[in-house]
Amino acid sequence: MSYLVLESGEVFEGQWHGIKGGDSAGEVVFNTSHSGYEEIATDPSYYSQIVVMTAPMQGNYGVSKEFWESEKIWIKGFVCLELQDTKRESGWKDLLQKSGVPAMDEVDTRRLVKTLRSKGTVWGAMVSAETQEEAIARAKLLIIKEQQKDKDWCYATTTKDVQILKGKKTSGPRVAVIDLGCKKNIVRELLDTSSEVGVFPSRVSAQEIMNFKPDGVMLSNGPGDPKDVQKTVETVKSLLGKVYIMGICMGHHILALALGGQTYKLKFGHRGSNHPIRDELLKKVYVSSQNHGYAVDQKSLPEGIDVTHWNINDNTVAGLKSAAQKCFSVQYHPESHPGPHEARELFTYFMSELN
Amino acid sequence: MPKRHDLKKIIILGSGPIVIGQACEFDYSGTQACKALMKEGYEVVLVNSNPATIMTDPEIATRVYIEPLEPRYLEEIIKKEKPQAIVPTLGGQTALNLGLQLDQLGILKKYNVEMLGADAEIIERAEDREKFNDLLISVGAKSTKNVMVRNFDQGLEVAKQFGFPLILRPNYTLGGGGGGIAYSLEEYKQKISLGLHESPTSEVLVEESILGWKEYELEVMRDAAGTFVVICSIENIDPCGVHTGDSITVAPQQTLSDQEYQDMRDEAQKIVEAVGVQTGGANIQFAVCPDTKKRVVIEMNPRVSRSSALASKATGFPIAKIAALLSVGFHLDEITNDITKTTPSCYEPALDYIVTKVPRFAFEKFKGVADELSTQMKSVGEAMSIGRTFKESFSKAFLSLESAQESFPEVLFKEEKILIPNSQRALYLVQAFREGMSVDEIYSKTKISYWFLEQISEIVALENVIKNNKLTNKLLLKAKRYGFSDFHIARLKDCAEIQVLSQREDHKIFPDYMQVDTCAGEFESETPYFYSSYWSARESEYLKSKKPVVALLGSGPNRIGQGVEFDYTCVRSVKQFQKEGYAVVMINSNPETVSTDYDTSDYLFFEPVTSESVAEILRYTQPEGFVAQLGGQTPINISPYLVSQGYKILGSSLEAMDLAEDRKRFSEICKTLDFKLPESAAVVTYDEAQVQAQEIGYPIICRPSYVLGGRRMEVVESDHDLASYFERHGYVISEKNKCQMEHFLESALEVDVDLVRGEGWTLVGGIVEHIERAGVHSGDSMGVLPPQRLKKSTGRKIEALSKQLAETLDIYGFLNLQLAIKNDEVYMIEANPRSSRSVPFIAKATSKPFVDLGVQAILRKPQSNIVGSNYDWKDTEIVSVKGVVFPFKKFSKADSILGPEMKSTGESMGRASNYADALMKSFISSHYDLPASGEIFMSLRDKDKDLLLPLAKQFIFMGYSLCATKGTADFLEDHNIKCKTVKKVHEGRPNCVDRIRSGEICLVINTTSGRQAIEASFDIRRSCIDYSVPCITESDAADSFLLALQNSQKGLVTISPL
Repeated sequence: MSYLVLESGEVFEGQWHGIKGGDSAGEVVFNTSHSGYEEIATDPSYYSQIVVMTAPMQGNYGVSKEFWESEKIWIKGFVCLELQDTKRESGWKDLLQKSGVPAMDEVDTRRLVKTLRSKGTVWGAMVSAETQEEAIARAKLLIIKEQQKDKDWCYATTTKDVQILKGKKTSGPRVAVIDLGCKKNIVRELLDTSSEVGVFPSRVSAQEIMNFKPDGVMLSNGPGDPKDVQKTVETVKSLLGKVYIMGICMGHHILALALGGQTYKLKFGHRGSNHPIRDELLKKVYVSSQNHGYAVDQKSLPEGIDVTHWNINDNTVAGLKSAAQKCFSVQYHPESHPGPHEARELFTYFMSELN
Repeated sequence: MPKRHDLKKIIILGSGPIVIGQACEFDYSGTQACKALMKEGYEVVLVNSNPATIMTDPEIATRVYIEPLEPRYLEEIIKKEKPQAIVPTLGGQTALNLGLQLDQLGILKKYNVEMLGADAEIIERAEDREKFNDLLISVGAKSTKNVMVRNFDQGLEVAKQFGFPLILRPNYTLGGGGGGIAYSLEEYKQKISLGLHESPTSEVLVEESILGWKEYELEVMRDAAGTFVVICSIENIDPCGVHTGDSITVAPQQTLSDQEYQDMRDEAQKIVEAVGVQTGGANIQFAVCPDTKKRVVIEMNPRVSRSSALASKATGFPIAKIAALLSVGFHLDEITNDITKTTPSCYEPALDYIVTKVPRFAFEKFKGVADELSTQMKSVGEAMSIGRTFKESFSKAFLSLESAQESFPEVLFKEEKILIPNSQRALYLVQAFREGMSVDEIYSKTKISYWFLEQISEIVALENVIKNNKLTNKLLLKAKRYGFSDFHIARLKDCAEIQVLSQREDHKIFPDYMQVDTCAGEFESETPYFYSSYWSARESEYLKSKKPVVALLGSGPNRIGQGVEFDYTCVRSVKQFQKEGYAVVMINSNPETVSTDYDTSDYLFFEPVTSESVAEILRYTQPEGFVAQLGGQTPINISPYLVSQGYKILGSSLEAMDLAEDRKRFSEICKTLDFKLPESAAVVTYDEAQVQAQEIGYPIICRPSYVLGGRRMEVVESDHDLASYFERHGYVISEKNKCQMEHFLESALEVDVDLVRGEGWTLVGGIVEHIERAGVHSGDSMGVLPPQRLKKSTGRKIEALSKQLAETLDIYGFLNLQLAIKNDEVYMIEANPRSSRSVPFIAKATSKPFVDLGVQAILRKPQSNIVGSNYDWKDTEIVSVKGVVFPFKKFSKADSILGPEMKSTGESMGRASNYADALMKSFISSHYDLPASGEIFMSLRDKDKDLLLPLAKQFIFMGYSLCATKGTADFLEDHNIKCKTVKKVHEGRPNCVDRIRSGEICLVINTTSGRQAIEASFDIRRSCIDYSVPCITESDAADSFLLALQNSQKGLVTISPL
């Protein structure tokens, strides 16, 4: 038998599709996107998380390397109701197995999601065991072990070396990306309109960034608690006002912290492709792709910093801007993958601010 | 933007009678819109010619007009009501075209009425296929290679260029009307000329074939600020080549990657912007080549559509309601999501379940019509189901069709049944797997996406596991999770269904009822919209309701004989049950209806209306009782099972209902009450039938005992006919289902009587007099209230007898009687212990809350506690005529002759202060042309010749000319009526059919009987259908048509609200 054991005590049974002995633990989060399982699993922001898909049928259209958002699968486990399992198209299941990522289906994901909704994001473990008791005992140990890991998750996912990439537009600006666990599509979007993009590790210094002579800096998405990220906030503080900065998701949190604001943990986060945003920068309301467990506290923001984007489901801060400090950031994902493309215009906005 | 205050009064246009391609989904959308706008404080004027709808209930709008959806009537209404705006986007193609006409005729401008939701330019950009193609190119979208053909010769040129097969899409028609696929030049020639005729602009888009491509549909909304959301993505299981209305579809889409899907979404948004849709709903259809992934746009509708209703039910997002609110100025982010009550409406629903829609067909009703599907829609209804997995949803959808007790009964496999799309293809697909065919083989024959085929193959694989293994609880649960019915499992295990049920009960293997919440569980929601699934264990054993519960059984997918009329009764009765203090559980599987709107009842269960599914819901909801008499025959059929499971039926008891349906006992009761009964007998064999026929005397009506809508019912006039009847239908006749033979009352007047009986009181709701004589199915005959020919004394006698019968049968609630009157004697034809098709018509013709009283009768309330239960239905100044609408056009080889088997899909209503005017309106609303002048062709059977002589004289007097085939022409000449002789079909050319086809004939009167004569005159009637020439096939109907023509010549346009 196989079990998903939550730290809060609930146990969910399911069918194991992982490798033998591939038990694992992580934060249990749910995503409501209908499609895009491969993009999600390779998004470094899901580092150390077990992802529960609310859409019941997964793996339907197979796999393709072009959907990858990084070089590896980051999730600690994949949970759904029914995983495609046929000779022709078992690609997704096989890929998870080959990558050593445990997968479970036939899980009552509806009840699981309701639990996560009411308990808030909890830790959990996926375990194959003879009995439920055994599973619970093993899960406890696994969870403790996973929680003891270094808390700077961004550092765990960031690039180790600086990468300099040629952009498609020779006359375009130079952009430095601080990789906090960056999705490939952020870089892809930037390459389209810039002359050169430098991707730097999360603990880069301000001097190193300035040495690249960037016209703009992009703070990428990334996993974990923004307050556990080391050095980046300091770096950004030093860059403020000197170079135009845009932040996405974790980058948005880091920017808020650098500006003197505070972040807090949401009860169960926003993960999906259907969250509405009121964008006062682009002056429109649209649906966005989201994946975050933390948010910026509006009240903590100092004077001169405007909240420019709102998540209108729960009226949390979804973006901010400081004209004086030459920066703006959004909580959600203009690079999409998965999700709708309407926020893509924010890249254009960023580029226009650089010229 | 908050709502507009410059608007006070708004007209909403309905979609008219139910036709294939435009059914009660527009009742749903219109009703929702009326309610939403009324709630915002607007005065709403509703115009629709369909009396069976909920939207034409006087409580839905400020004012309801049941009038023809024609510009001249709308102008009068606009003149009288002085509205500021009109909404043409909620009533299907009919309303959209009417809106366009009102604009083109300058009527809107003249009275300063604004079109909301879409204006004429937008409608044209989306609907005009040439303009739309240009627009696609401008946004970088692709379309199939195509040419707009404007005449026959040009059509031939195009065919030469493109090669076959070719797809034909006539411009501005509904449900693909007049279109199709041509595989050969011969087929093409025929279809192109028809298509050119069908298109109001004489244009047909001829398109290269994309047969076999994957087909998708996006339901989208946009508000005035440009916010764009996709409410639902729908994927067709049937690849391109089958009309989307006839396709089995799933939501959300299942086989596109996120990137493919998002690109499609981007393109949809660009198209909506380019068309210029300002606010409201739209849908866009795409095709994707499975090999190259090339994507093309098939079409776009800038309005709420059939699939919007489906998308609303599939997601919980009320598209029509939101579209109405957007049209008066609101933005999506200003409207709260009804279901979560906390989040706004500018989101895209997230589904944690799979929705399947399956069409229901009626090919069996149309003799000689091939059961093949193409680009012209042919289905008459649809069922939708919700399951957690595709397999659960897919299996449940087929149970919802109510055609068998299991989803995919075994069939005798025939390969052509999977090669050529047809109404039964899914059953043959499943069978193909049972026969051992592989996914690859089936894919190569059908081009149905691998993913769907694999899923279906898993269903068959599980069947084999069940057959070959012990039915452990685990296996049983798995079978239920695949959507297998108990009956199905029992068949596989070769055991009794009850054994499977007991095993489930012993081990508490019950479905959980899960919420449709628009957000996949992300937010809490209270909205009680449920579906069943075996994928979750129940959190609580029973539904917790503060009020006592009654369960109302709906009528399932629409079919000929059971349609929106029953939804009207169900929905209207909900309100009354609530007034009586009950919480109402509504059970239905039809996504087109108002009854399956989440805010109609207290608890909506979107589930199959089958014995197992309903019994489980009753187990969970623990009602005081269930109501079976409001949803047509479907609930009646499963009542005995439900009662046997210990649930209480409200209203008439099972015994009372049995009494009405048991021919023998019922005859005895009728005899004691002075009802006459035609001579009759019940037989099993042909030999018995021959003997009985001598006793009864021809003509005889033959039919199997258990039928709906007069299926297999025929008038038999000779020994020869009788033999033929048994040859064709003998296989359904058995000891259990005997053949009823009954003397046919020729030339009798027929009436429908509807009454309700409560504790100590009985109220006759009305008597509808049929316009055609006995022999035409009551659903197909026109009717009038109050009766025009029935003697007052006979009317009184009918009322008295009917009341006595209700008493004797011990009816509580509704009783419908069909009676024939001959020589002042009242003959009993049939009694239905339930609400009937005529109830909504009667309620609206009499303007009385008949259904509300019916509910109080079902609850057995004594008269002293009821207000208004003793009105007289005859107390009305208005004459109301029921018209009927037939789908013959969609079935290229169907005959339009009427008989005892019902064939109509919808009804219209004409209301006026006099009979002739009401008749005329009902003809207009039933899409008959009323020619002002021209040549009338008559072909009459001998016994009608004398009868119709005065009619012929009148036609001449009114300025028409006459022509006829030799027999009729000679007869008329003999009576000094000028008449041209034309050739019969077999007499050479040009013949009468040529004249009809060439447009020389403006009206055909063709009465005939006997199989041979009917076959011989088939071409006459068929050419009338193809070329939209009114064709009357019954003598009394001809008289009434004359009355309508006379009235039409007066040129008066009268209107009055309900």
